[in-house]
Amino acid sequence: MSRPRAVSEAILDESDASLLDLVDNVLTKGVVIDGEVMLGLAGVDLVYLRLSAVLCAADRLSKRLR
Amino acid sequence: MYVYAILGDAPTAPLGSGLAGEPLTLLAAGDVVAAVGAMDEPPAVSRAAVLGHDAVVRRLSDVSAAILPTRFGMIDDASALTDWLRTAADALGEALHLVAGREQMTLHVFDGADPSAVDADEPADEASDARASGPGTRYLTLRRRERRREEGVPELAPLRARLAALVVAERTERRATPPFRASVYHLIERGRSAEYRAAVDDGRELAHGVRLRVSGPWAPYAFAPDPLS
Repeated sequence: MSRPRAVSEAILDESDASLLDLVDNVLTKGVVIDGEVMLGLAGVDLVYLRLSAVLCAADRLSKRLR
Repeated sequence: MYVYAILGDAPTAPLGSGLAGEPLTLLAAGDVVAAVGAMDEPPAVSRAAVLGHDAVVRRLSDVSAAILPTRFGMIDDASALTDWLRTAADALGEALHLVAGREQMTLHVFDGADPSAVDADEPADEASDARASGPGTRYLTLRRRERRREEGVPELAPLRARLAALVVAERTERRATPPFRASVYHLIERGRSAEYRAAVDDGRELAHGVRLRVSGPWAPYAFAPDPLS
């Protein structure tokens, strides 16, 4: 019987972590223009938490695999 | 209009299209140029939109030596944008000078030990304190650990020396979600990302007590000037 995949294995791969890196850059960095109409980025805090959770889980996973 | 990036010079190569398929155009003001697309409302945040924004920025990077990507969702009208470009000209010019011919690498830094465990690099007396039974002592030990976390990433100092020949500038963002300690953004010359990765791999053992994850190259998102007040 195959081993059930851990949640971290199911949600994480390099492309996922890279996507969250992309989110970190595109949504939270870059030039902020004065007078611009900012998006309602209420989800940015959640994005940060998700970024942290995924990167930490990826880190733990890679540590186990080393 | 939706603003994708601020450029140091007007590219002569075709700019292609933007997030909504709109043709990209240039809006010049003084010594800087904004790459924009006609759009009345910012796009909704989605995987496709975020990927699309970065794809446009990368394409602009290919045709422009000095580029400052704008944050996702920047909408402004031509008149207000022109006024802002003139107002921010000094800060933008300085930042464009810094990023010209360069790209960004990111170094994510994680605590080397499980956050619930005693730090591997923790001084012996603190480790001893952490095991002590008194709640006051445990509290003070935890506060010392938190202070060290707040002080940045001193464990990277030996690795920084190894990377010094590659890194032109550095920005650090501390993270408040252990074991994620910080993200360190490095500006390097374009085309040297493989050397950077190799240098980090070679120097991992120098960064005692932390683990590292490298990402990049990216356009220099983290090297935008601070928002003007």
